[in-house]
Amino acid sequence: MKKHFIKNTLTLLAFMLISSALSAQFSVSGTVTADDGEPLIGVTILVKGTSVGAVTDLDGDYTVAIRQGTSATLIISYTGFRTVEREVDVNTGTLDVSLEPDIANLDEVVITGLAGGVKRANSGNAITSIEGDALSENTSPQTLDNALYGKIPGVQMTANGGAPGGGINVQLRGVSTLGAGSSQPLYIIDGVYMDNSATRNFRSFVSGAGGGSSSNNQDNVASRISDINPDEIEKIEVLKGPSAAAIYGTRANAGVIIITTKKGAAGKSKISFSQDLGYARGQNFIGFDDWDEQKIRNYFGNNAEAQLELLREAQAENRVTDWEDFFYGETPLLSNTTVSASGGNEKTQFYASGNYQTEDGIIKNTGYDRISFRANIDHKVSDFLTVKFNNNFIRTFNQRGFTGNQNNTGGSIGYAIAYLPSYIDQFQDESGNYPNHPFFGGNPVEVRDRGVNDFTVNRFISAASADLSLLTKPNMFLKVKVNGGADYVASQSLVYFPETMQFQRTQANPGDVVWGNTNALNTNIQAFAIFNADVGSLNSNTSVGLVRLDQQVDFLANRGRGLAAGQRNLNWAAVQTIQAQSEQTVTDVGIVAQEDLNWEDKIIASVGVRFDKSTLNRDQEKFYAFPKASLAANLHNFDFISSGVLSQLKVRAAYGETGGLPRFGATFEPLGAVNIDGSLGGFVGAQGVDPTLVPETASELEFGADLGFFDNRISLEATVYDKRVNDLILSLVPASSTGITSIQTNAADLQNRGFELGLGLNPVRTTNFNWFSKILVWRNVSEITRLAVPEFTTGGFGALLGTYAIAEGFSPTSVVGNPDAADGPAGKTLYGDRQPDFQYSFISEFNILQNFDLSFVLQGQSGGEAINLSAFLWDDGGTTPNWDGDDDNDGLFNGQERANAAFGEGNSGVWIEPTSYVKLREFGLYYTFSQTAIDNIGFLDRLKLGVSANNVLLWTNYGSYDPEVSNFGAQPIAGGVEVTPYPTSRRFFFHIKADF
Amino acid sequence: MNYKILTVTKGILLMALLSFTACEIDLVTDPNNPSVGSATNNASPVEIQFLVTGLEGGNRSYYGSASQMFGAFGREVWPYFASDPRFLGDWLGSTTYNGFFGSGGTYTTPYRTVKQANVLIEAANNSTQISAQQASGALGFAKTIKAFQLTWPLLQQWNNGIRIEVEDPLNPGPRVGVDNPQAAFAEILNILDEALNDLNNAGSEFSFDLTTAFAGFDTPATFAQVNRAIAARVALYAEDYSAAQTALNASFMDMDVDDTTSDKMFIGPVHAYGNPPDAANPLFQPFDQPTARILICHPAWIEDALPNDARLNKVAQLTENLQTNSGLRDANGDLLVGEYQDVRYTDQTDDIPFIRNEELILIGAELSARSGATQAAVDAINIVRNTWGVGDYTGGTTQDELIDEILFQRRYSLWCEAGHRWVDLRRTGRLNENYVDLRDQGGLITSVARPTSEVNWDGR
Repeated sequence: MKKHFIKNTLTLLAFMLISSALSAQFSVSGTVTADDGEPLIGVTILVKGTSVGAVTDLDGDYTVAIRQGTSATLIISYTGFRTVEREVDVNTGTLDVSLEPDIANLDEVVITGLAGGVKRANSGNAITSIEGDALSENTSPQTLDNALYGKIPGVQMTANGGAPGGGINVQLRGVSTLGAGSSQPLYIIDGVYMDNSATRNFRSFVSGAGGGSSSNNQDNVASRISDINPDEIEKIEVLKGPSAAAIYGTRANAGVIIITTKKGAAGKSKISFSQDLGYARGQNFIGFDDWDEQKIRNYFGNNAEAQLELLREAQAENRVTDWEDFFYGETPLLSNTTVSASGGNEKTQFYASGNYQTEDGIIKNTGYDRISFRANIDHKVSDFLTVKFNNNFIRTFNQRGFTGNQNNTGGSIGYAIAYLPSYIDQFQDESGNYPNHPFFGGNPVEVRDRGVNDFTVNRFISAASADLSLLTKPNMFLKVKVNGGADYVASQSLVYFPETMQFQRTQANPGDVVWGNTNALNTNIQAFAIFNADVGSLNSNTSVGLVRLDQQVDFLANRGRGLAAGQRNLNWAAVQTIQAQSEQTVTDVGIVAQEDLNWEDKIIASVGVRFDKSTLNRDQEKFYAFPKASLAANLHNFDFISSGVLSQLKVRAAYGETGGLPRFGATFEPLGAVNIDGSLGGFVGAQGVDPTLVPETASELEFGADLGFFDNRISLEATVYDKRVNDLILSLVPASSTGITSIQTNAADLQNRGFELGLGLNPVRTTNFNWFSKILVWRNVSEITRLAVPEFTTGGFGALLGTYAIAEGFSPTSVVGNPDAADGPAGKTLYGDRQPDFQYSFISEFNILQNFDLSFVLQGQSGGEAINLSAFLWDDGGTTPNWDGDDDNDGLFNGQERANAAFGEGNSGVWIEPTSYVKLREFGLYYTFSQTAIDNIGFLDRLKLGVSANNVLLWTNYGSYDPEVSNFGAQPIAGGVEVTPYPTSRRFFFHIKADF
Repeated sequence: MNYKILTVTKGILLMALLSFTACEIDLVTDPNNPSVGSATNNASPVEIQFLVTGLEGGNRSYYGSASQMFGAFGREVWPYFASDPRFLGDWLGSTTYNGFFGSGGTYTTPYRTVKQANVLIEAANNSTQISAQQASGALGFAKTIKAFQLTWPLLQQWNNGIRIEVEDPLNPGPRVGVDNPQAAFAEILNILDEALNDLNNAGSEFSFDLTTAFAGFDTPATFAQVNRAIAARVALYAEDYSAAQTALNASFMDMDVDDTTSDKMFIGPVHAYGNPPDAANPLFQPFDQPTARILICHPAWIEDALPNDARLNKVAQLTENLQTNSGLRDANGDLLVGEYQDVRYTDQTDDIPFIRNEELILIGAELSARSGATQAAVDAINIVRNTWGVGDYTGGTTQDELIDEILFQRRYSLWCEAGHRWVDLRRTGRLNENYVDLRDQGGLITSVARPTSEVNWDGR
């Protein structure tokens, strides 16, 4: 009944309109051009204080009718250009306007409230916006999140590995939770709450990673933000901390990323075609040790003779193999095709696109495909009602193969080749059999060729909104905005090891298959009333509204073992089990009120509060309050400070609070089902419940100054923040003798302090050479300021192999290990911090001779440590390049020496390595044909050719493929542990883009 | 103007209506599982049954881990587990540390089962839906299993002692038996005695069903024999030999065994296993497969055996897939080859007896030896020896010599049954190189360091 009602709301609103007809008093027409004289198409001309306006046509011409009065103010705005206002009256007749580029994006509207935003120039927060062009125009990113590298000051992004389909840990302004709630930002696309969970594929059941328990975090999956096609995005806005994100209340502790997709513009219909074609190469190979006779003797001792025999055999048959190159050395084809159509008239605009991306991986039988269709429609029903619909269907198919951790099963190529000398025969023989791996549980060639790890997502994201003007007067208006939508993700996973595989043959029931299904549905709706009035020189904007989010997530994984030859259908399994099943239901409800005051664009103030309740809380009926306030002063708009050189001087301050919800289940103390001898029993869980549990709350104070010089050709944005997360939920770990290993409780506070600097430069700006650069530098320091439970270690594979410590006075991402240290965090030796000391990026764009565009993004971090357990395994298997060298001439081989340091002397530092790096993330060079050339061709409106590269250069001292790594997926604390991951790759492209 | 007022009014009304409906939420309870709270609050007979069966499920969880880790400590076995070098590096080493690798299976796991038993005890005590007699049956069962499970962390921790009162997770009791593990065993013995008392008041039938794991021991009277068998073992470890003898006499011990009735050595309750979703026999592995994870019989066990010992049939020699691991080398740095695989089980659904007649006979032998009843000791030893075809005992009969012989027989009779060898050598002061073959160049671990959570809790 409830849902039914909400569904009908939009329709009802539409029917409520009564339109009026009033005759025009006078009209104004003219042409809008850029400062270089080019006509601008699709410029919006709005009569101030009304919803009346016009849009420029193909020649930049417009005519606007003013219906009331004898004079009016026209607001002329166009994306990428500074908005201007012009006074007109009955005598004006013609008004031509030339627009200046908005170099510092001051006129861009940024989100500061759920029902609207303000111009960047007036924002009290540092809100990062990324235009769609910056996401996919320079190069073809692997996934959307990959395109964000280097573009958001204040973020730490860490890829989990290099598998096709991506997977990146995104932390805005430091750590926001210790793992109890969502560690990733909240993603909102066209007003819809997106499902960004790392949907399970259950690979760890089959590969045995984490003992085959329900350790979904070793499944090596991507967060579902990766489904979104970057080409369809108009803009991304990043609300980094609570001061900006307070409007999203109880789910916004980790920040909010707001995505707006493209929409059509009135005017001539445009068909665009773009094709990216490229290839990838694995990067930064270790170069496994070559096994010669001496090495074999050194490693195998008295058992060397048999191995030497194998070496001689391999040499005779010419099949000594560099396994790293063999497995990771493919040169896969990458292709990305997009066709879009957009256009419309003054009343209706549309944008529709179809996209097909297909990529193979640098390991055979891995890859990623995406199909995405989008239709966005904006329709003005009348002067009083505007409706919008955004619809997106996405299908992704991801084959990530088998890398990373495993246990006994041999179900990881990287792990298996750590123990695979170059001369061992692993190749399929004539009768189709694969030889056994003599030192491991599985033949990696067989794992690659016969193991199946398929993940398919079918997804619909639909949004609808209605803006209803109830009252429009020159000095006030009252509007109602209703919007909502749904995100439905249906995913299916298949992980399959056939019965012929080495490890399977050793099992009681050979052959293992897990079929998983997850269905997740988010629906949300919000309704706001907005009242805006001019009171003297003060503009007041008041909005009140309601928000509601419903989530339903169901998953089921079925497993079959003892498979008939070649069969993976569960019916052909001797032993059929339900491996996991769960349903989750969540509802959040919020009430929001916000007041924005603007005094002549000089002083801009905003206060607001949001009250949220959620069924994830222990007290499901309780509303928690999340207030916010901000103040911005545009000093350059005051007469006393105006100067020719200084074009902008804004100081700003903002405060806000947000929340972080306990994860589903944290408030339950369940009995688990156990089967024994045909009987069903209930067994206590290891989790206790704290009856006083409350959500995590974060508060943030942010100060900043924005400066512009020489018409903003030099701009500086500086921000400092102090973000405190209180009542952090963490596992109180009772003495394990109580049978309870964790009680989710509010037991810690942490502080993130940092700064973000952005310097924009436009040193040369001529017709034939335009140079734009941006330098971003940011730093975040995290510290646990209160800990009400004993200090503890978390993550990784136990103290000896490096882990993380939660201890008061230390960073929550402190990397620690053996030996014990009395004054160290959690009694362990401190080796470093997963978070870097600071990060930076350098973005440059050059337009040369009007036709050439050259751009690059260089991004890096300084400091930070990761736990390189690949090196640990390589040493154990003897594959490290310098294993039997003896660097310190003590008669002990390097590999043994490192093992001794760890096991004998208890020094975990052996494999903890610094992760400083610099990466050339993007490089692009394009040629756009001149208008004359295009006109000669005839049917084309634009033609652009180019080459680009992605992640092409890497400078680091880190001792594995990539300092960005996480065996455990996206984690607030315990990322930065690597176990023979999928190596990352360099990507090279050729591009063609044409408009018709 | 009228239309505007109308529109505004309609808009406001609509907003109000929307607010009203949108704010309503349905409270969410756990859709996936019943809660512990519902079981401890006036449990129904069905809920008691769920807890009893759950307790049976938990009762077997320690076994694989104890056989592997304790077995490696006492060099009954070598764990050729390639997935993690710490299996060999740590387990065959001489040092332990807080949070010792792979030690949760004989600590956290049995303690979870203790918690299950405590929940069952609370449920039985709080239920008005079952009679006092029925409650006594549940209590007797719960306490017996609880006591049995408590022995595993204690065997692992030994001189560190263990907590016995663990009902309240935020207020656990003190450690018992620090530097005096016998005192902790005595406490466990008290729980067993309490359980016996409950069983004696439980009537002739349990009000719940036990699985076939307790076939033949599934009434209060017959289950009491299991309780007494466990009590005999615990009292032996507590060095309370008279209590051990009393318990042994009330157990299911049967001395009437010879080489034609060797099956009787295996009389006793078992851990039951099955195909998923049941748990698998943790020690079963198909024979001679190319695996990188296998428990291998220590070669000294083969080499030290008496001629014709039928107990050697517990293992078989690998032919195709001999095992090596770079972490297992002799004094020359040469790899030690694993040759003998455990073949006692033919399927992952096979039962494993967890306390059985053969052990009881040997406990009897030891109690006789310790009380000076030399002939009784030798007689008991000979029952075992003759059952397995190695002839009568002809060695010395001082108490030490007899204990040596009994430990030797236990080494073969109870091989790889949750770590007897390590436990026996330690409790008799023999855990040293004279009794343990250290050709793997490792060391001997006397007890595992306390788990990190325990140290942290005490240090909070």
